[in-house]
Amino acid sequence: MYRYDSFDQKFVDERVVHYRAQTERYLAGELPEDEFLQLRLRNGLYIQRLAPMLRVAVPYGTLDSRQLRALAYIARHYDRGYGHLSTRQNVQFNWPELAEVPDILQDLAAVQMHAIQTSGSCIRNVTTDQFAGVAADESVDPRPYCELIRQWSTSHPEFDWLPRKFKIAVTGAGVDRAAVDVHDIGLVVYRTDDGEIRFDVKVGGGLGRTPVIGKTIRQGLPAHHLLTYLEAILRVYNRYGRRDNKYKARIKILVRAMTADGFRDKVDTEWANLEGSPSTLNDDDLARIEAHFQPPAYKSPPAGAEILGTQRLEEPAFDRWLKHNVAAHKHPGYAIVTLSTKLTGVPPGDVSDVQMDAVAGWADQYGFGEIRISHEQNFVLPDVRLEQLFELWRKAEAAQLGANNVGRIDDIICCPGGDYCSLANAKSIPIAEAIQRKFESFDYQYDLGVLDLNISGCMNACGHHHVGHIGILGVDKKGAEFYQISLGGHAGNGASLGQIIGPSFSREDVPETIETILRVFLDRRLENEPFLDCFRRVGMDPFKERVYANSD
Amino acid sequence: MPTLISHDTITPISQDGWELAEVGAPVNGSRRIVPVDDWRPESGDGLHLPGDAEPEARFSEAPLIAINFANFSDGRGLSLAVLLRTRFNFTGELRAIGDVHPELLYYLRRCGFDSYLLPDGRRAETALSTLAPYTDYYQASVLEPNPAHRRIRRFA
Repeated sequence: MYRYDSFDQKFVDERVVHYRAQTERYLAGELPEDEFLQLRLRNGLYIQRLAPMLRVAVPYGTLDSRQLRALAYIARHYDRGYGHLSTRQNVQFNWPELAEVPDILQDLAAVQMHAIQTSGSCIRNVTTDQFAGVAADESVDPRPYCELIRQWSTSHPEFDWLPRKFKIAVTGAGVDRAAVDVHDIGLVVYRTDDGEIRFDVKVGGGLGRTPVIGKTIRQGLPAHHLLTYLEAILRVYNRYGRRDNKYKARIKILVRAMTADGFRDKVDTEWANLEGSPSTLNDDDLARIEAHFQPPAYKSPPAGAEILGTQRLEEPAFDRWLKHNVAAHKHPGYAIVTLSTKLTGVPPGDVSDVQMDAVAGWADQYGFGEIRISHEQNFVLPDVRLEQLFELWRKAEAAQLGANNVGRIDDIICCPGGDYCSLANAKSIPIAEAIQRKFESFDYQYDLGVLDLNISGCMNACGHHHVGHIGILGVDKKGAEFYQISLGGHAGNGASLGQIIGPSFSREDVPETIETILRVFLDRRLENEPFLDCFRRVGMDPFKERVYANSD
Repeated sequence: MPTLISHDTITPISQDGWELAEVGAPVNGSRRIVPVDDWRPESGDGLHLPGDAEPEARFSEAPLIAINFANFSDGRGLSLAVLLRTRFNFTGELRAIGDVHPELLYYLRRCGFDSYLLPDGRRAETALSTLAPYTDYYQASVLEPNPAHRRIRRFA
């Protein structure tokens, strides 16, 4: 993985000094609240319903064991002993003291971490496939390009004061695990037949109040031009994006207003002036950044497949875990393990300091010291030898990170909701818990297959409800919490937005309604058909009919 | 009183020599900074542009361009400055006016501004102490056309 050089280290060290001085000016009354807000947001510090929330950047979801131990220390020392894995692969702390944040940043800087641009109207932490570099279905490792984007976008002089937040995601694999269709910019990187690395560039996707699938405005962009092309897009957005209404300020609204063709023309005209400028990457630049992401020293020859066969026969729960939580690795003899945080009764994505330390230990013991965070809010160990899976699973079970539910109905993406967030209309975590309670054994019984269930507490859509196969949105109806259910959303390849099934439901009625939906699915399902495929085949009507059958 | 910071030092307004003119205002000794509708390339007047102005080649003949920031978090003036400096080769004085925030001069500076009129109540001390909070930056800028990795051995 990428290691800081003296340049990176100096920058984050200076960031700590700079932010500390800003905090001191605020505390001394020299900087008014509304002005400090803009500064602290660009350093990931929100003031939430109950306390400040600090979002720490985990660039493209990759960290090492030392960094994770530092996060565990921060959870213990500055917080209440836990942190939260976010849907953008970052880590959030819910209870830091505003005055202590500079000290936290200093501790982060000591392990090559920071909170730069994790909130505010600027270019946010770039995200990617949590299996980047190890996925069997990958054509190009996206991490070197993510790192180039990270550096290019850090404290950019021109693009730190955009109309609204700006999120870039990159994927280089056959299966899109980075949800590139629902980002402000989605990049698909691939290798051509003659070995050239190229990008397809999508713009204007996003969730929130106005969910939109991104439009491809450029195909086959050579890697050398990546940063100048991004510069052209950002300049067009910075100049022409709406600033009069925050709900209409995302790039998707601009792309819609200009049309995708109109937007592309504007970007191309701008890029004509930037093509070949000094920010163009040369072969040497690309080779040097790629050198940071060379594969570790994998053991050969591969072993462990036989013993695994025996172990999975003996332990059905392990077999399930292998099926759901373990993905194919590029290198024979290794596997990618997802450690689920989705334990019934625990808010999705919440992890304790003890769990963080444990995961860091396993990364060292069973891998090469590397950990990933997925946008589904789980931990990933990217390099586990097959013969060690069983031992790891046992330990994960004991640490409450062994749930075998990845991609299943109880692997819920969920925002903090009304329990924590001042924007939320409704609570989301208790809904997640109720669904997990009701359907964990249901899934076991009926084998529902891959099913993304996403919950947002308000239409800002932090829980990505629009792209859940089943999406739940908290709405406010005359001061009471209600929930709107949508079906058929999808975040990966061939992304789609969910359709609302009908009038919303009270909190008590949500689990039963989900059960009705699942019963329709089980009745209509072809053998082993996933929920999404079934829904796309049979359409909304059968679900709607049964769900509202007993209403007037 | 607004404070003028020019070439990284506080400059008394009396020594500035520029005055922001309303449309049709009389000349009173100072050189004027006028809105684009009143401005002629050969006039010697400074040019006053809103942040969302479209830059034009003829603007580069102005001795001074003042870009107005409607509010400090509005980044349009940054892109306008970059375009004037890099696309239209404007070499005169580029001044930030309006809701200019002392904490943000380091962005403005890297986009090619060289003077800043801080509104009344904004702290000039802060502005001067935070003009360059970082020794160096990753990406290219108006001040430094080459990104860091092109200037120094990096990624190695």
